[in-house]
Amino acid sequence: MVILRPEETGLKQLLERILNKGVTIDTSVRIDLSSLDLLGAKAHIILASFKTAEKIGLDFPEGTNLNTPAWQNLTTNQPCPVCGMESRSKELKEKGCPWCGWNYRPDER
Amino acid sequence: MDGTTDQMRGKTMESTTLTPEKDDSSGIAGAIDRILDKGLVINADITVDVAGVELLGIKIRAALASFETAAKYGLEFPSGTNLETAAWKEAMIEKEECPQCGKRVEREELLNFACPWCGWESAKAKKRKKVGVRVEVQ
Repeated sequence: MVILRPEETGLKQLLERILNKGVTIDTSVRIDLSSLDLLGAKAHIILASFKTAEKIGLDFPEGTNLNTPAWQNLTTNQPCPVCGMESRSKELKEKGCPWCGWNYRPDER
Repeated sequence: MDGTTDQMRGKTMESTTLTPEKDDSSGIAGAIDRILDKGLVINADITVDVAGVELLGIKIRAALASFETAAKYGLEFPSGTNLETAAWKEAMIEKEECPQCGKRVEREELLNFACPWCGWESAKAKKRKKVGVRVEVQ
């Protein structure tokens, strides 16, 4: 039986996917005038969701408290492959999803 | 008239009683909702140089999030914001969206008991109920 998460299409899913993956824009522009370096511009831009930013170690604005429980949840929680609700990775693997009951080893439940 | 009542009778109870449902939020509102809920980080380093001399450097570290998410992740608020109000304290409680009606409910309550709005129950709550019944029989 194949169960897929509902509504995998649409703007919402698209944006979520993009921000989950993260977007990097790296550009450099150089303008020369008669072999003279006139103007140059470089831009490194990165866009990501909080979770991805934390994972890849992006800087957060000054004054951000990185010790709140929400930060810890980012690393310990994982979305269920069926319903998408988040729960502790360990619980999800060993006992199955507490939200929808999905379990990849149903005989051992 | 008779035709419509027959139709109504023909329908099952399920379809005539009110069943709360999450509205289809795959539009732009849903997308914005999701982004503000998850939070967005925008980091940018921009440099401009003229004739080989670095003239201008811009370093942006921005985080975009809803109030609730910002409070949860400890983002700094503008000076003068009163963080002692009841709304801020409530924002710190971990909440989750009910999969059925979409209302934001306290995570622990939703996971261990049921949604207080629509009565949806998680697998964990159902399992717990079953175990409870078994104990009563014994």
